[in-house]
Amino acid sequence: MNNRKQKIKDYLTDKLKSQGDNTPLADSDSLFVSGRLDSVAMMMLVVYLEEAFGVDFKGADFEVSLIDSVEAIALFVESQVCA
Amino acid sequence: MNEPKRSRYSDVGMRAVWAIEENPSVVAWAQTPWGKAGLLLVSFVTLLTARDWQASLFLLMAMALFAHVPAWRSMVLFVSTYATAFFFSSASIDESINEVVLSEGYTQLSPVTLSHVALLGFLALAWGLMAYARRYKKSVIAQRPVLTLLAVECLLCVLSYRGVFSGYTRLAIWCLLSVFTPYFWFLAYALVDQRSKDRSSDLFQLGTFHPAWTGPTSTPMGKGAGFLRKVLAKTPQALAITQLKGVKLLLWEKVLVATSVLLTWLCEKQLHIPSLSDAIDAFLQNHAYTLGMEWAALIWSVTAYTLQITIYGHFVIGVARMAGFQLPRSTWRVLESRTLIEYFNRFHYYFKELLVDFFFIPTFFSVFKKKPRLRLFFATFMAAGVGNALFHFMREMELLETMGVGGMVETYLSYLFYCFVLATGIGISQVRANAGYKPSPSVWGRVQSFVVVWGFVTLLHIFSDESRNHTFLERMHYLIGLFGIN
Repeated sequence: MNNRKQKIKDYLTDKLKSQGDNTPLADSDSLFVSGRLDSVAMMMLVVYLEEAFGVDFKGADFEVSLIDSVEAIALFVESQVCA
Repeated sequence: MNEPKRSRYSDVGMRAVWAIEENPSVVAWAQTPWGKAGLLLVSFVTLLTARDWQASLFLLMAMALFAHVPAWRSMVLFVSTYATAFFFSSASIDESINEVVLSEGYTQLSPVTLSHVALLGFLALAWGLMAYARRYKKSVIAQRPVLTLLAVECLLCVLSYRGVFSGYTRLAIWCLLSVFTPYFWFLAYALVDQRSKDRSSDLFQLGTFHPAWTGPTSTPMGKGAGFLRKVLAKTPQALAITQLKGVKLLLWEKVLVATSVLLTWLCEKQLHIPSLSDAIDAFLQNHAYTLGMEWAALIWSVTAYTLQITIYGHFVIGVARMAGFQLPRSTWRVLESRTLIEYFNRFHYYFKELLVDFFFIPTFFSVFKKKPRLRLFFATFMAAGVGNALFHFMREMELLETMGVGGMVETYLSYLFYCFVLATGIGISQVRANAGYKPSPSVWGRVQSFVVVWGFVTLLHIFSDESRNHTFLERMHYLIGLFGIN
């Protein structure tokens, strides 16, 4: 899980940097509800999670809170991978 | 006390001076009684240039009560929203109702009174729909709220059409349609929020329907209750920072207003640049302005429109921040957009969010899962094209009475073309961004990006004018004429 979490964090840090946001990203920082990343970035994250980890969002009722922080994403990916 | 969070801009030149919400002393002061009063006073003065003193005072008192009396928040939100609707509202709903009042011959009836009665009826309907969606989670209204509301909208249009009903029946249906349409997307957000475990109360939800800070726009500026409760400042320090940012935004809005006034004087009074509509008229009547003046008309029209959207958005968000909502700006450094997808994100954030929430996301999770590029393009097209077109078509539903469906569609072809081309451009930009394309950060790269993005936006602007004064072919003729081809 730590490896996955780090990969996710690296992806998001890179995404934030491409928008000029160099503020360090904590695991519990809100990504989308805070407006730090927008909904377009959210969909790109979804595509990344599907391709990198084989996550299928079909079964989940999609809610922003599922992927609003590094912690939440890692937990969600873990639940999908183990399911 | 925790230090205010450092902004990514706090070390950059003048922005360090302007970033008062990052100064611990200022933040501490903003939490004192004098500080709170000071912020309210400055906000009140900025509001006076846009609204009369009674409306400004009412609005700020409501925002202050909301911010500083948490126990009363739902009630304050609800009362301020509907006091604004009943006592400070714009005339658009009344004008729509008046069309049928006149055509059915009920000139003794007041459109204002009818709009108020219709609004009360709509509130009862909205409350009932929310309760139904909560109780019957598998129902179509709970699972597909936008589709259901669109079906209701279509039904009301059909039933209120000339010849279907007449007299009081027709008038009543038309009154409901006149209210239902501008509140459509607010209700959609409320119905979606009924799925949330921490959904807001009905009073709060109804209070987010054209809240006091938004004015008459059909776009929920702040989205719905679900988003608003997440961005509400949770601590006194966060509230102070949010209000400081609100005051800054309102002051910046005044600077933009002054800029707009100056540019209008310069372009229209001094340089005599015609409006785009007048330039097209002159072109069609073979009295065309010079080529330079035709381009100037187009560029000035885009500039004025961009300023108008920016000013309005800053005003709305600035006021909302006084209530403690940590809302992102609606327009953010749009001139720095390096791609079309960036432009789409930065120009009108809350309209873009509406399209994403109700068109992009449902499409994205439904289709072409094995073809990622097509999936992304199609979902973007559904949002920026289909959703955009539908939103703007519905917004002028009162034309159903004066033009009929055929007339509405015929005069809408130009805007449909605009939506199609815009959506295609944004879709391609989205796919490229997802594939890792990044414009060059060099000076020349930035110039190129600006020319491409704003060149595209400017040329397409010829078709996005919602005046319905010119046909699609007339506008295309004008566009071609701009390149010296007749």
